[in-house]
Amino acid sequence: MFIMVNGEKQTVEGSETTISELLVLNKVSMPDMVSVQINGQFVDKKDFVTKKIAEKDEVDFLYFMGGGKAL
Amino acid sequence: MKGFATKAIHCGAMKKDVHGALRVPIYDNAAFEFESARAIQLAFEGRSLGHSYTRISNPTVEDLEERIRLLTDARGVVAVSSGMAAIANVILVLAETGGNIISTRCLFGNTYSLFEHTLKPWGLGINYIDLTEADNLKRAINEKTRAVFLETITNPQLQVVDIAKISKIVAGFNIPVILDGTVTTPYLFRSKDFGVAIEVISSTKYISGGGTTVGGLIIDNGIQDWSACPRLKDTAKKYGPYALIAHLRREAYRNLGSCMAPHNAYFQTLGLETLGLRIDKSCENALALARFLESRREVKSVNYPGLKNSPYHELAKNQFGNKFGGILTFTLADRKACYKLIDGLTIIRRATNINDNKTLILHPASTIFCEYSEEEKNELGVPSNMIRLAVGIEDSEDIIDDLKKGLESL
Repeated sequence: MFIMVNGEKQTVEGSETTISELLVLNKVSMPDMVSVQINGQFVDKKDFVTKKIAEKDEVDFLYFMGGGKAL
Repeated sequence: MKGFATKAIHCGAMKKDVHGALRVPIYDNAAFEFESARAIQLAFEGRSLGHSYTRISNPTVEDLEERIRLLTDARGVVAVSSGMAAIANVILVLAETGGNIISTRCLFGNTYSLFEHTLKPWGLGINYIDLTEADNLKRAINEKTRAVFLETITNPQLQVVDIAKISKIVAGFNIPVILDGTVTTPYLFRSKDFGVAIEVISSTKYISGGGTTVGGLIIDNGIQDWSACPRLKDTAKKYGPYALIAHLRREAYRNLGSCMAPHNAYFQTLGLETLGLRIDKSCENALALARFLESRREVKSVNYPGLKNSPYHELAKNQFGNKFGGILTFTLADRKACYKLIDGLTIIRRATNINDNKTLILHPASTIFCEYSEEEKNELGVPSNMIRLAVGIEDSEDIIDDLKKGLESL
């Protein structure tokens, strides 16, 4: 399915991808330090492992801090 | 890792240094380069991690922030240019014109000045109450109250309040407690365990390693629901529990230019590693000095929470793990006697800092509180015959000997 991640089109296989999996697929640095929005709505961190991405979702990974990439 | 010292020394989340340096270097530069226009856009939008400009973030400063975060189990930490910058940033983020904060008159002089002379003219109400009676809060808090502000051990009054009790009452109104933990630091007091939402610290003091550099810390303990705070509710929609840190980083802290200098962060990280050793020694010395001063006929009174006759002794003992900080005050016959003692000392230094490695002496009424009338000074607990000793980590017998000679000359 097609989704938008941080403003760019992305293809994700299947329809069962969770936010946690999407963070891994996108090699997101310091996932503990990222805030996730789907279609402009904040997603609680505890829901990352269960919340599934849907076709045409606009997903934004937002950092609340500046910072370097961890190891 | 469980121990405070082990964490302070080994925690951190930085990249491996290109040369294998064991300590994060001082990145004393202003700007950071990106590989593409798209990459710099994402960083500015907060959609990728990356330092862009030192006023907003910096690797050396981040090393200090991350160590403090891991030491305190906090949600987020922002290092700022001074302790006063920490307080100002937090109040400006939480409160607005027409709102109010509740505090006590037993405050550090500059904090009182910030409230009275800087924030009040912008329309912020400051309601001072006696926080030794926590129930007073139930009558003082109203729908415009945005926070309750207090200090762990007030400087220089050395008053100690029941922080857990205060936090419990304040939590019932869904507003945050802001605690200035400068004189205790997370080594003596884990504010999160006492229900404190935000801890602010002047890291110039104990943390800097000996009065090396000026700095401040804002610690979000991660226990407050920021969506209930009128100023933060919109930010909370986007960043959820990280609203305070996000609002600081992406607005107030950035716009006020409150950043900590990387050079200062380097020294403060170094100081953090020996924090426990130095606090233990200064507390031990302060108790020895307080007991010595109590025994002298020239001294009218001694105020130190570590003394059993202090009204705050038992409370402080329980809250701060049987340690009582490095500040004490005592009174002499009058101001003239205070000046004579201060001028006659040879080891103790005449300076206005606290929690330095050196023992420092000051006459608060004529210095930190010089802008206030005699009546206000008395209200603030700063009489003209009071001396403040900020006890360092020297050998206590040398400091006692210095004081003894000074007192004998009176």
